[in-house]
Amino acid sequence: MFVEFFYDLRKAGMPISPTAFLRLQKVLYMGLVGGLDDFYVVARTLMVKSERYFDVYDRVFAKYFHGLEREDEFEKELEATLRALLEEWLRDPKEIAEMLGIDPDSLPKLSPEELVRYFLERLREQTERHDGGNRWIGTGGTSPVGHSGFHPGGMRVGGGSGGKSAVKVALERRYRDYTQDSRLTMSQVGEALRRLKHLVPVGPRDQVNVKETIRETVKNAGEIEIVFDPRLRDRLKVILLIDNGGWSMDPYVEVVQTLFNYARAQFKDLKIFFYHNCIYERVWEDPQRLYKPFPVVEFSRMDPESRLIFVGDAAMAPEELEHPRGCIYYNERQTKPGIDQLRFLAHSFRHSAWFNPMVRYAPDFSYGPYTTQRIATLFRMFALSLEGLERAGTHLLSKN
Amino acid sequence: MRETRREFTGTSTYVVDPELAKIVNVSIALEMPLLLKGEPGTGKTLLAYAVAENLGLPLIVLNVKSSMKAIEALYQYDTLTRLNDSRFGDSGRDVSNIRNYIRMGKIGQAFTSDFRVVLLIDEIDKADSDFQDDLLDVLDQMSFDLIEIDETIRAKNRPVVIVTSNAKKDLSDPFLGRCNFHHIAFPSPEFMRRIVEAHFPEVENRVADACIETFYRLRSLSHIEKKPATRELINWIRALRLDPTFQVRLLERGKELPFLGILFKKSADYLQAQQAPVAVR
Repeated sequence: MFVEFFYDLRKAGMPISPTAFLRLQKVLYMGLVGGLDDFYVVARTLMVKSERYFDVYDRVFAKYFHGLEREDEFEKELEATLRALLEEWLRDPKEIAEMLGIDPDSLPKLSPEELVRYFLERLREQTERHDGGNRWIGTGGTSPVGHSGFHPGGMRVGGGSGGKSAVKVALERRYRDYTQDSRLTMSQVGEALRRLKHLVPVGPRDQVNVKETIRETVKNAGEIEIVFDPRLRDRLKVILLIDNGGWSMDPYVEVVQTLFNYARAQFKDLKIFFYHNCIYERVWEDPQRLYKPFPVVEFSRMDPESRLIFVGDAAMAPEELEHPRGCIYYNERQTKPGIDQLRFLAHSFRHSAWFNPMVRYAPDFSYGPYTTQRIATLFRMFALSLEGLERAGTHLLSKN
Repeated sequence: MRETRREFTGTSTYVVDPELAKIVNVSIALEMPLLLKGEPGTGKTLLAYAVAENLGLPLIVLNVKSSMKAIEALYQYDTLTRLNDSRFGDSGRDVSNIRNYIRMGKIGQAFTSDFRVVLLIDEIDKADSDFQDDLLDVLDQMSFDLIEIDETIRAKNRPVVIVTSNAKKDLSDPFLGRCNFHHIAFPSPEFMRRIVEAHFPEVENRVADACIETFYRLRSLSHIEKKPATRELINWIRALRLDPTFQVRLLERGKELPFLGILFKKSADYLQAQQAPVAVR
């Protein structure tokens, strides 16, 4: 029963195992499901294992059991989408213009209302041409609005659903805010980097080493000799180098700040330095890059077991990276090109990673600006996303 | 087990929405662990207490700690005591019987209990993912091996297992596959009203309304790192009711926001909430 529903869910990208589906059959057989409302809840608890998929589930459910969604629901959906679009428009007019096929120069002339009207018309065309066109918005990943993962209305409140039909409840899409695109929060960063630990035995010896105790006791002719070991403690040293200069890093201030806050709260031995675009003779301990210069050669005196982490877009003019006098600040003393300094750092530390906020999904950085490619040969690069953080965590702890 | 097929319906202080009640009942019927996620303070842990109370079953709580190994949750073999006994031999225990030195952990206790119990595995995300993986088969088969005496402990009565997790990140896939899943969404204001009434049966309407409305407004402030949840609201109302100088009038007008520290635990959040305009009417 409901085999098609199962395949619809899978088609929508939900990882549901056949076992879970069979379990649903068992529940149906046991007579535990008393109607569509029950089915909605029970099927979800059995088959959907993360709140991030609740929204997809709601959509598939509504479609399967309701045929096409009602027009007014669709309108409501549009409204939310439009608000998000407006936000996006204010932030990046060019991209939106391209997406809608408007000349970017004429864009500033459109008032927000006009833009919305224009967008609506486009969207109607879209819905008429493809059947099931609401997916065009709904799937999030492909529409210009879904990309942003931004919800101007803030978190919607879920909760009780007394008295409403299951389809209605599903249509409410209470779990929209839990979908996968949401922004990085500190706790997510924490989750991703939790694995970053370097456990070494330190501190007071307060843990019994059974094996050694027995050996010593035997040696002692049966007179008990208890051997204690120190506990394993986290002694990870982290050096964080943040590119905080110039407008190219501006859009990422928030996400970098989140990472930064997390790092400060989490790592006991953390050194933070700032730079702009590329590394030359010195980096700075103060974010203004004015008062506290720190010579790069000094890095060679730090523990080579420290984890060196860069955060930056690695995008700059090629001469900034490769010319011995390429620094954009004329008063910066410079004896060798930035790439040499970076190479020096890469060789000084066994474990390093580079977070690049520019690329959101790419697992490899074999494309992108020339300088990014060059730097990626020295440091493994990771996207500044939850997934990227997780991969980097594994990479930073690998043995070699 | 027809006799235990009593339905979970919530308790006097734990108001449960029908959706969650259904999920709990299905999990009990299927004898599968129920994994609960949701914002901190929305009653994940309390649900286990409520289920135990409602069904009249004893509750065994396993508070997961960050350094915990799965084996600790099952049983512990106390080598030191045995060594000590073998040296001095004055404890009255039979040293040659390893059984005397095996102590059951929380999961072991739940399995060996003569009654059906509710087993709460609280905040499983705190431990490494190895912990979940090691518990997989234990929870699936409801049995584990005592390596030292080569014996299998099988659950006499399959316990009702409730697992909670605060993590935003998902648990490991194989573990998820063996659980039922529910995410406790934040209650709507109407539902919150019922929760408040369950906790404070004699609260005045006006106070409850003002508190709940202010609470939801404070929650909706943007850039709050740790949003206050049900737990904070209940504590806040409790504090307000204990304060003889509290005037609901001032709260309604947004003139005064007493005891903000109960709602906001991070200083940045606190400061932001203080400056927020939150007049009810």
